[in-house]
Amino acid sequence: MLADAFEALKKFDWGTDLSVLSPIDDAAVTAHGDPAVSQELENRLLAALKESLSRDAHDYACRKLMIVGTVASVPSLAGQLGNKEQSHMARYALERINVPEAGVALREALGTVSGSQKIGVISSLGSRRDAAAVAPLGKLLQTDDPAVARAAALALGTIGTAESAAVLQAALPSANGDKQIVIDGLLVCAETLLAADKHAEAKAIYQSLAGEQQPRLVRLAATRGLLACARA
Amino acid sequence: MSHKKQTRRDFLKTTGAGAGAAFGVPFIITSSALGNSERPAASDRIVMGGIGIGNMGRGDQWGYLNRKDVQYVAMCDVREEVRTRSKATIDGHYRNHDCKTYNDFRELLARTDIDAVHIATPDHWHAIITIEACRNGKDVFCQKPETLTLREGPLMIAAARRYGRVVSGGSQRVLEDYRKQVDPAWAGEFGKIKSINVNVGPLPKLCNLPPEEMTEKIDWDMWLGPAPWGPYNSKRCSGSYSINGASWRSFSDYSGGGMTDWGAHHFGGATFICDVRELQPEEVIYHDDKEGQFLEYKYPNGLVLTHNRPHAQNMQIEGTPGQKLPPKPVPTYKGGDNIGADFIYCVKTREKPFRDIELAANTAVVSHLGNIAYQLKRSLKWDAARQEFPGDAEANRFIDRARREPWQL
Repeated sequence: MLADAFEALKKFDWGTDLSVLSPIDDAAVTAHGDPAVSQELENRLLAALKESLSRDAHDYACRKLMIVGTVASVPSLAGQLGNKEQSHMARYALERINVPEAGVALREALGTVSGSQKIGVISSLGSRRDAAAVAPLGKLLQTDDPAVARAAALALGTIGTAESAAVLQAALPSANGDKQIVIDGLLVCAETLLAADKHAEAKAIYQSLAGEQQPRLVRLAATRGLLACARA
Repeated sequence: MSHKKQTRRDFLKTTGAGAGAAFGVPFIITSSALGNSERPAASDRIVMGGIGIGNMGRGDQWGYLNRKDVQYVAMCDVREEVRTRSKATIDGHYRNHDCKTYNDFRELLARTDIDAVHIATPDHWHAIITIEACRNGKDVFCQKPETLTLREGPLMIAAARRYGRVVSGGSQRVLEDYRKQVDPAWAGEFGKIKSINVNVGPLPKLCNLPPEEMTEKIDWDMWLGPAPWGPYNSKRCSGSYSINGASWRSFSDYSGGGMTDWGAHHFGGATFICDVRELQPEEVIYHDDKEGQFLEYKYPNGLVLTHNRPHAQNMQIEGTPGQKLPPKPVPTYKGGDNIGADFIYCVKTREKPFRDIELAANTAVVSHLGNIAYQLKRSLKWDAARQEFPGDAEANRFIDRARREPWQL
């Protein structure tokens, strides 16, 4: 049944009845708690990705690797990050595979992919809260591409460490693109730090954003943050 | 009032007369701007825009447009025909040509004159647009279901609180449709409610519709937004209320199927009846036996909310009726008898609305936990404080999904 489904995957495309793949769907569920089943399924999916699949079939395989993928899937998925048609669904799996190698692959891709794919990689690093990505993301705050700079600021905010806050703070005076997003990133960092009982670090950020030169919305956010620090 | 109104009023107060004298011309102010006994002055109206004006959006737009304390100035939709029709409606209402239309919501949100927006896009856009609206200082009315993934709710709540925004979810049914249960429950007549059942569905499914020729003028890339790429198909992007495969509501890339679509109403109603809107389940027990699949959600206060329990009716309550509890006042809308009025009232007073985003997100959590439990075909534990499945690496993969570039939260 599973073998038949993988054969069907080779010809799968938009408009095909999804039921032909249901043995794969079922295997992805029964793989839970059974490493042997999970590994076999992952190997089959990775083998399928080496075939000449339709975009739809490729995306389906990545959806299943999101569930069962392990460190073994990282090289294959990483190799797709620069491909305009494959990059998103490669990240669909890679972003959710909680192994350090996935983070390494995404960080390395920062130096090799470009355009929208780069923004996608940045967003996945943010979603993973990859602290090791702070330095390379910080450099991207100064890039000529405002969309990339914006993505980096959002990701640094999501990572939310004292280091990412420091990078955002340093970049603020000369930030390319959207200063508002750099400030938003700083506010997010402050919230994360406060939630982690790092009151002094959070307070410093809020104080830096409470000045009269900031837009009213920012001053109010900073004031709220300072009140939260006082209550903590 | 929003800070923008204060800015306009301050401007008029300090510079209006002086400006007229300086230029030597009469300072003309329309009667509409001055207001009258039936219509507030322009400076006291909430300036609104709408994003996503399909079936639900049109209804919401109509509600806000017909309020005398709202000035509706802009709308955004990825369909040209919708923009044309909507502009005609708004301009016709005000008898002018002032409504501005947009294909890109970011341009609408960047306007400094807009105080509030209502959002009725497909679900996969709700979080990104709501958070961006908050960053731009807008209050938000976001249609249900407010989130597509578990990660989105906390981020939307955080953005609302960070910027002091009023963010209301949708679902007028939570307060309005279940009064037969709400009123006696809050009157204490059921005693301590032990369980309540919700019947709703179906589950979402993957969309594999074939490509079609695009016969409508739609920005397809923008419609897809953060969702995985798929070819244009009229059913894929149809906003019909169908959840049986004929609209985006059916499909997992854009929605949680009936579990979120009608679940927003029914789970919302059930948690309102039982007064647990501020809580999230801590466990979901999956059942699959000869009577079918169903779920039990266990709440920290002992309540059990069941989903599709065999032989149980929707909103069927098991309480302890012989042990009545003291009555409690039923939370309700402020400022009017509908959820839109409640939102506008709260925009003015800065109170939390009836369906504050935190309460809305808690309802969506019930739907999402259910969808994940059904997909994985097993029980789950949920840590509401940490917003994760403790020790469950597989389930934690489902908390969020990578968004299609260039979109990110």
